[in-house]
Amino acid sequence: MTLTVESVNSRIDEICADYPVDEASLIEILHDISSEYNFLPADALRRVSERLDVPIARVYGVATFYKGFSLTPRGKTIIRVCKGTACHVRGGDRNLDELQRILGIGAGETSEDLEYTLEVVNCVGACAMAPVVVENETYHRNATPTDMKRMITGEGSDEDEGGDE
Amino acid sequence: MRFNNIKQLEEHREQALKNQQKVKNTILVCGGTGCLASGARDVEDELRKQLAEQGIDMEVELQVKITGCHGFCERGPIVSFIPSGILYEKVKPKHVEEIIEKTIKNDKIVTKLIYKDPATKKKVQQYEEIPFYKHQTRIALRNIGQLDPTSLDDYLVRDGFKGLVKALGMKPGEIVDEIDKSGLRGRGGGGFPTARKWKSCIKAEGEKRYIICNGDEGDPGAFMDRSIMEGDPFDVLEGMIIGAYAIGCEEGFIYVRQEYPLAVVNLRKAIDILREVGLLGENILGSGLNFDIKIARGGGAFVCGESSALMKSVAGKIGEPRAKYIHSTEKGLYDLPTVLNNVETFVNIPIIIEKGGDWFTQFGTEKSRGTKAFALVGRVNNTGLVEVPMGITLRELIFEIGGGIQKGREFKAVQTGGPSGGCIPNELLDLKVDFDELTEQGSMMGSGGMIVMDERTCMVDVARYFLDFLKEESCGKCVPCREGLRQLTALYDRIVAGYGTLEDLDKIEWLAQDVMIGSLCALGKSAPNPVLSTIQFFRDEYEEHIRDKHCRAGVCKALTRLVIHDECIACGKCIEVCPTDAITGAKKTVHVLDQEKCIACGSCVEICPVDCIKVEPVKVAGEVAS
Amino acid sequence: MPEIIIDGRRLKCEEGETVLDVCKRNRIEVPTLCYHEAIESWGGCRLCMVEISHPKWPGWSNWVTACLYPVQDGLVVGTNTTRVRRLRATVLDLLLARCPNSSVIQKLAAEYGVEDTNYEPRLDGDNCILCGLCVRVCDEVIGVTAIGTANRGASKEISEPLKEPPVDCIGCAACAYVCPTDVIQVIQTPDYRVIWDRTFDMYKCVECGISHITVEQKDWLIAKDNLPADYYDLCDICKRKHTAEKQKELSML
Ligand SMILES: Cc1cc2nc3c(=O)[nH]c(=O)nc-3n(C[C@H](O)[C@H](O)[C@H](O)COP(=O)(O)O)c2cc1C
Ligand code: SF4
Ligand code: SF4
Ligand code: SF4
Ligand code: FES
Ligand code: FES
Ligand code: FES
Repeated sequence: MTLTVESVNSRIDEICADYPVDEASLIEILHDISSEYNFLPADALRRVSERLDVPIARVYGVATFYKGFSLTPRGKTIIRVCKGTACHVRGGDRNLDELQRILGIGAGETSEDLEYTLEVVNCVGACAMAPVVVENETYHRNATPTDMKRMITGEGSDEDEGGDE
Repeated sequence: MRFNNIKQLEEHREQALKNQQKVKNTILVCGGTGCLASGARDVEDELRKQLAEQGIDMEVELQVKITGCHGFCERGPIVSFIPSGILYEKVKPKHVEEIIEKTIKNDKIVTKLIYKDPATKKKVQQYEEIPFYKHQTRIALRNIGQLDPTSLDDYLVRDGFKGLVKALGMKPGEIVDEIDKSGLRGRGGGGFPTARKWKSCIKAEGEKRYIICNGDEGDPGAFMDRSIMEGDPFDVLEGMIIGAYAIGCEEGFIYVRQEYPLAVVNLRKAIDILREVGLLGENILGSGLNFDIKIARGGGAFVCGESSALMKSVAGKIGEPRAKYIHSTEKGLYDLPTVLNNVETFVNIPIIIEKGGDWFTQFGTEKSRGTKAFALVGRVNNTGLVEVPMGITLRELIFEIGGGIQKGREFKAVQTGGPSGGCIPNELLDLKVDFDELTEQGSMMGSGGMIVMDERTCMVDVARYFLDFLKEESCGKCVPCREGLRQLTALYDRIVAGYGTLEDLDKIEWLAQDVMIGSLCALGKSAPNPVLSTIQFFRDEYEEHIRDKHCRAGVCKALTRLVIHDECIACGKCIEVCPTDAITGAKKTVHVLDQEKCIACGSCVEICPVDCIKVEPVKVAGEVAS
Repeated sequence: MPEIIIDGRRLKCEEGETVLDVCKRNRIEVPTLCYHEAIESWGGCRLCMVEISHPKWPGWSNWVTACLYPVQDGLVVGTNTTRVRRLRATVLDLLLARCPNSSVIQKLAAEYGVEDTNYEPRLDGDNCILCGLCVRVCDEVIGVTAIGTANRGASKEISEPLKEPPVDCIGCAACAYVCPTDVIQVIQTPDYRVIWDRTFDMYKCVECGISHITVEQKDWLIAKDNLPADYYDLCDICKRKHTAEKQKELSML
């Protein structure tokens, strides 16, 4: 998909129409843009700045301050490795190391073919199942490096036994 | 439908109760983030499909409800039954047929799905009998898991909005007095008396006031507030409406952490329903109260849990704190008087008003009244959400409710208060959990994260972990926090890489003390807590890292050499989990670990059933690290 | 009128003043790096920390930033206690590690006994100490908000939006003027000024020919303050001359 200034502008105008013209709408709008494009295109930020009448310096500041936003395109599959305390003490780092090894990208990076983005998050609120890795919308509970390999290569199955006799 | 007055609301409650009584059986499928992650939706779909196929009346005969999190997330998906009280764990769609056949049609139990207590290995059939559940006192979490979070009728049946109805018959000042009497202190970590906060906001001058609910839950490793917002959103909103009436305010915000999409969805639904029935908006229940609530999603920044940063963020700005020589109850959001309370604080309000402040004081201790919800996680047998009366000891929490340490290993420390808290060692396990006792030990109760650590946890690594976290999460405004945390991490990096000296340790303490005094906001001021408390209680581990180049827990990779000892039973499990194929071994021979290939990830140590893979010192710094 | 005690001196002050205001008026030395009298206090550098106590709360003391702390009657302030000096030394040590090449920081740090940093110096860094003055002057005083910050925590930096030359900048150079460590580069010739990678034409005084303002700043100010189009045709000096001459004429009449 190529993003033209016109297409971005008209989409941003639609998004902004749902919100009051007020600086307080900025973060909500950036979230919507992010769900639309998977990242925040520069043209989108320029347009939001115009629409909300908030200087671009401030829009850019907010877009880079909050970790939920990315200014570069992200991959089709976003893998988020939880690095919350519960996941950390249960060995969550192993999964991150393994994913970096298999995918050849570091945390916060996207593979060149735009297939994968590897992100580190601070707790997804599923700490009782630590360590947790989230692949797009799918949560992998009690994840191990072996699970990571399976997740990427698709070999084997990730099925939990379920119940126990 | 719209309730124009209290009478109409109560009539509707009667009707809802009647409808409810008609239902013979209710199946509750947990729909919290945890269970959804393990496939609860599929179980629900399968249940509905098969029940429909069998022609069962889903209005009267039997209801299937998606509820909020019960707190047993590790064993999800959870399915429970009303009125029988049976609870099943790890339910899969393939089990549905048997459940319908046995449990629904013949009142029999599917034995393999019964909850098994991980500590005692006993099977427990009744919800209430599960040890993890039995010792709890549920006030804040009372509705969670028991109702459909997006059904107003369910909430009304469980006494929802009785608090508001009563509050509207009181004077605003009387409400604050009732809260004062209850002794309720803020659940967001600081433990500030809620009534005092409200009073000072009422006194402050301003053309309008705001009320904000802090649902940022930044403590990584805690999920009480998530469960409440997801599982009982009406309760949070009711608390805010009562608050609005008490302090005289027309506009409220609920600031939700961006990593909690389901909480946003359920809160949104609940707000829409309340607007529709007139419990939000103009002239609520004919009382003359006008009040509405907006959701503000966070952008992913821990510092935005701090009050002044949160208010900047609600206004669409960078979340940089400001010095609070003037309180936000006087100059908060848009410089107007503002009350900010935590999610759990707000859910305590309706029930305190309904049952009275005195009722609340029967729980907890003299200075810390009521209960507190904790996320009990880490290396403990029963992980999940627990709500206990204040004053319970850490030992009871970890060993009775939590069922002790996994795999019978040795307890080392418990971390409370998240990145602002400290580590509490074995010697202090009889400490009472309340606001003041924990603070005295250099930790803090925090919002309720409780992470249990065992011999496999390295205390140097834990301190470094929190520093690393805070270095990333610092807003960067002030020098001690921004530069100080960077330098502290650099010093820790030296130690875990094997280059640390004892002078580095002194430097760490010195700098930590200055960061504590010099930083602008509580993020920086409390950042040294994990550092100073681990040095205080686990100095020997630091010295081992520095002097012996040894990380006894096998966590700091550069200081870890793994060796397979002769007790090896040649089960081959380690070979399977090793990501770099560093382990070889045939049947019946002690396996061999190739130091060249080993990346010290510890997967093998974790899986070895006889604990024969041991951590040994690395003699020369950098021997294994490359 | 409240009275406070600073370093043992009893001093009168106005309601609403900060401790730093009182110090300045009474020539009591308190170092600052993120403070400027024309800009709202911010409290980021933490160098102006002082120790306070109050007879009303015996046994209580605290460390606060003088630039923000409002005076209260009876407040006791120590601007130079051992603990305060240690704190300042640490702040300067950390800044020296951040900007090892800044002569301003080197000099200040030396005054607090720090010749070489005890911490890990940043090797490839510039001299920006992130005092935020440039961003704040542009936003609060000039009213343009052309530049801002990017990122947070240890990777925070002063940045042009989208890392492009700032479109809103009018080339007034106020940011460069307030920068305590001279980070912001300005190239000035009679005809143009270069700042933030943008080149601005200068507007010349019709009388003396001196270039006194950028064309964009002139246009911006005229639009903003609704001024006559020829308002900036004269530079300040010539304007003053004119006014003086006019007054002379008037008095002669
Ligand atoms: C860095 C930092 C993070 C915080 N995070 C949270 C949070 O996630 N949730 C919360 O309720 N309070 C948090 N707080 C505390 C709030 O600033 C505030 O005190 C609290 O929300 C007040 O509510 P309470 O009185 O009901 O506890 C945080 C404070 C700091 C300094
Ligand atoms: S202490 Fe840290 S988070 Fe708080 S204002 Fe300073 S830099 Fe920001
Ligand atoms: S020169 Fe540009 S960036 Fe600097 S203060 Fe003036 S307008 Fe702002
Ligand atoms: S560039 Fe100068 S004025 Fe701006 S933040 Fe850096 S040191 Fe301060
Ligand atoms: S710590 Fe990983 S989900 Fe909470
Ligand atoms: S999500 Fe189901 S028990 Fe927690
Ligand atoms: S001058 Fe007061 S904090 Fe910088």
